[in-house]
Amino acid sequence: MGLQFIGVQLFNGLMLGSFYVLLSLGLSIIFGMLGVVNFAHGTLYMLGAYAAYTICYVFSQNFWLALAIAPLAVGAIGMIVESTLVRRLYSVPHFYNLLLTFGLMLFLEEGIRVVFTPIGKPFGTPPSLAGSVDLGFMFFPKYRLFIILVTAICTLAIWLFLARTKIGSIIRAGTDDSEMVSALGIDISKIFTLVFGIGAGLAGLAGVLAAPVQNVTPEMGSSILTETFVVVIIGGMGSILGSIIGGLIIGELITLGVVFWPPVANTLVFVFMAAILLVRPRGFFGRAKFFE
Amino acid sequence: MKRNLRCCLLFCCIAAFLITLPFITPTRSLATEMLIFAIFALGFDVLIGYTGLLSFGHAIFFGIGAYTTGIVLVRLVPSLFVALIVATALSLLASYVVAFLSIRKKGIYFVMITLAFCQMFYFIGFKWTDLTGGDSGFHGVPRTSFGPVDLNSETALYFFVLAVFLLSVLLAFRIVNSPFGRVLKALKENEDRAKSIGYNTTAFKTIAFMISAFFASLAGGLYAVHSNFVPIDTLSIETSGDVVIMALLGGIGTLYGPVLGAMTVVFLKNFLSSWVGNWNLILGGIFVVSVLTVRQGIFPVIFGKIKEKIWVRKQPQRTGPEYPKRPL
Amino acid sequence: MRNLFFAVAVLVLIAAAASAAEPVKVGFISVLSGPLAPIGQSELNATRMAVEDAGAVLGAKPEVYPKDHQYNPGLANERAKELFEKDKADFIVGCSNSAAALAVSDQAARHQRIFMSTSAGTTDLIGKNRYTFKLNYNDYMLAATLGAWGAKNLGKRWYTITTDYAWGHDLLKHFTGALKAEGGQHVGNDMVPVNTSDYSPYILKAAQAKPDVLVLLNVGKDAANSTKAAAEYGLKKSVKIMHALLFELDIKGTGLDTFAGDYTAAPWNWVVNQPGTKEWADRYYKSYGDRPTFMAAAAYSATRQYLEAVKRAGSKDTDKVIKALEGSTYRDFFVNPGYIRPEDHLEVAKAYLLRVKQPGQLKEKEDYFEVVGELPAEKAQPPVGIFKTLK
Repeated sequence: MGLQFIGVQLFNGLMLGSFYVLLSLGLSIIFGMLGVVNFAHGTLYMLGAYAAYTICYVFSQNFWLALAIAPLAVGAIGMIVESTLVRRLYSVPHFYNLLLTFGLMLFLEEGIRVVFTPIGKPFGTPPSLAGSVDLGFMFFPKYRLFIILVTAICTLAIWLFLARTKIGSIIRAGTDDSEMVSALGIDISKIFTLVFGIGAGLAGLAGVLAAPVQNVTPEMGSSILTETFVVVIIGGMGSILGSIIGGLIIGELITLGVVFWPPVANTLVFVFMAAILLVRPRGFFGRAKFFE
Repeated sequence: MKRNLRCCLLFCCIAAFLITLPFITPTRSLATEMLIFAIFALGFDVLIGYTGLLSFGHAIFFGIGAYTTGIVLVRLVPSLFVALIVATALSLLASYVVAFLSIRKKGIYFVMITLAFCQMFYFIGFKWTDLTGGDSGFHGVPRTSFGPVDLNSETALYFFVLAVFLLSVLLAFRIVNSPFGRVLKALKENEDRAKSIGYNTTAFKTIAFMISAFFASLAGGLYAVHSNFVPIDTLSIETSGDVVIMALLGGIGTLYGPVLGAMTVVFLKNFLSSWVGNWNLILGGIFVVSVLTVRQGIFPVIFGKIKEKIWVRKQPQRTGPEYPKRPL
Repeated sequence: MRNLFFAVAVLVLIAAAASAAEPVKVGFISVLSGPLAPIGQSELNATRMAVEDAGAVLGAKPEVYPKDHQYNPGLANERAKELFEKDKADFIVGCSNSAAALAVSDQAARHQRIFMSTSAGTTDLIGKNRYTFKLNYNDYMLAATLGAWGAKNLGKRWYTITTDYAWGHDLLKHFTGALKAEGGQHVGNDMVPVNTSDYSPYILKAAQAKPDVLVLLNVGKDAANSTKAAAEYGLKKSVKIMHALLFELDIKGTGLDTFAGDYTAAPWNWVVNQPGTKEWADRYYKSYGDRPTFMAAAAYSATRQYLEAVKRAGSKDTDKVIKALEGSTYRDFFVNPGYIRPEDHLEVAKAYLLRVKQPGQLKEKEDYFEVVGELPAEKAQPPVGIFKTLK
């Protein structure tokens, strides 16, 4: 059980953590702005993988094309869902929207089973990113480093977008008080749609990146959803920094748990969550508004 | 006079329906399963319809009820009465612990935590093979007699479950139409106001949670005996989701809504899934449409329409405001 | 006189109608939807073929009642109850998924009808109750075959990767026993959660242990993922790989290059040299467009065996048929011979060692395997008494 092995596992944990970061970022932004807990978030992730599959295997052979188009496609789906369905339930208690997304999750997952057959789809590592990189003390697959890199760039981009652009500031304001923003004359409904689209796009991106590494099956979304919720609970709803740190922690916890302590690996995450809830009920960076 | 007649008629219809149900459904055991989930949904309505808390983790208590009953019957005492007592007691304990960690959180957050706990209990059940059989499930649950009644025949089991169901309905009715129930309704409407009047809302919510867990574990125990076996998916998130769907489609806050919703969903699931592989597609679609349009539930809407057509009552005309206008 | 004649004729007709045979009802439960559907479907096809071939049993053609359990034990339990109570099935065959098979076995005992388990591996089904018969493969047989043949021919140092669920545990238990009996060395094991897609940590650990053989105690998607990772990290160059279960379906889905050169154990394959195999496999191919798995062959054989036993017993009565099946030896293309032990209702037959061909070696479509060895029934099957017995 040498240093190399531990090093590889730590990096694997970073890779898994990257997926959680992207997913929980999207979930957190959607919740922060819209108050909607998107149960269909895992399904959007799955749609991203299937979109990548369709682009890569059915049309062109180009992974880069899939990487560019699939997240946008999923983002568009998100925007359509928001503007046609989710929007109608803003005036009623929040849990109806949660239930709506839950129903959508069932429907879309089964729909993909019908269209693509329940058997998973093969998805190989893109040839341009195959092979390993020598990091000095260990070898690590190029593609996995790519995932970590893309996630880092994306997270930075989202942060810059929210912190430095005009729309970003509107979003941040809307997260605090959407009625006020509306009263200032800004069409908040378009911003809502955009935010849902960004969240969905992030999930879709995670799906595309995951396709060569995870199995592309209709169930891939629901199996990752619960852990994503745990990330958001631990990191704090509505907090970007919380999503990032929470995602990385959970990714490492799962990876190291599976390797070093298999019997309790799955439950470790939830025990950790329960512990955090006892000690810091809002999560690391949760904001007061969403809990009381 | 007329009202009493109508009530009597309604009661007779319901009684007739329940008594003949096992003979109408394709198999007797389907009717039993319908009632089992009706009990589950009944308790769930106390939580979601009357207290306003949405839990996505009630499979925990259904599963605890099922596994405990099975384990007690096979390994400890072959007495269904004892098994159900132990099962419900254990589930009350578990629900107290879960509630302690999560009830303080606001609605949406509470949902996610219950979901996460459900997953945790699922994994515990999956891994603890010596106790639960892991993903093989717990096999060989016997149908011991309950007192003089031999439950081996499907018909006998149905009528036993029917008796439990009727008792559960009475219990639930008593709970929601009591001072306790009124406090629940108050805190569902506005928790801060209830708190300001002096009610310990956390305690009330916890008790409501435990009550719903009691019903869930009772249903679970009956399920174990009904199937002679406890599959691991009694603890799964799918089961939690199922009861949410049953309650919502049926109409939360009415008690009869989730009961009918549960019976309908169980029936359709069994009936349609042998023909249509993609039952979830239909269910998901119906659910989405229902959340968007008939939020109060399908059955309240249907009954409302029936009431309009058949039970039209002449109301005396009321003029003027009901309460004196307050000065601005 | 004419009236008398008519009266007699009518009486004879009534008597004939009253004794008109009630057809034997063959119940079938397996996975007919979802990712594993092709396997269940092949079993159903074979069962139907068997019913066709058996002809009239007790004066009427048997009927098949298929049910889909969607690979879910709870549903299998329900379907078994339906088959016995609503459809009045006399017999159930099939049932993949060990937990599902256990549930169906319990229902068979409750309803006192026969259940022939042909597609689940758990040894808990052996000698479970007198109504249950275990045919085809079981986990002990897979493990013993792999262990015995492999220790002799491939090497003594073994590393196992096991999927962390009931079936995996069962396989591992039997495998370690078999390995010890052959003097092999078990240098390590990894328990992998179900549906893991990333096997790289386990492959790396396995590589470090330097085994001769890597045994993959998994099936389907897990088998594909683990083998892919082994290929990716170059492990296949130095280590031989053995699979507990490997089907043409998996090879088709993932690609021959991933699995080329791997070994697996099976009670039958359409390329084995048993009389009648080629003919049956060709018939199946002509009717259904692909080659039958051994699950299908087992379903066919089991159904024929049951129907022949009914013919021998002269009645559908469960006890009479059980008596007819116990101790019987049956010969067909699938089991040659197959002997049903009265002590635990296990059908013992020999087992084969198969190897996946290299790309380019295929002579016809789906010709993925070649036979490299076989084990007689005494070595491949568990001796009486290791598992439950009925007396």
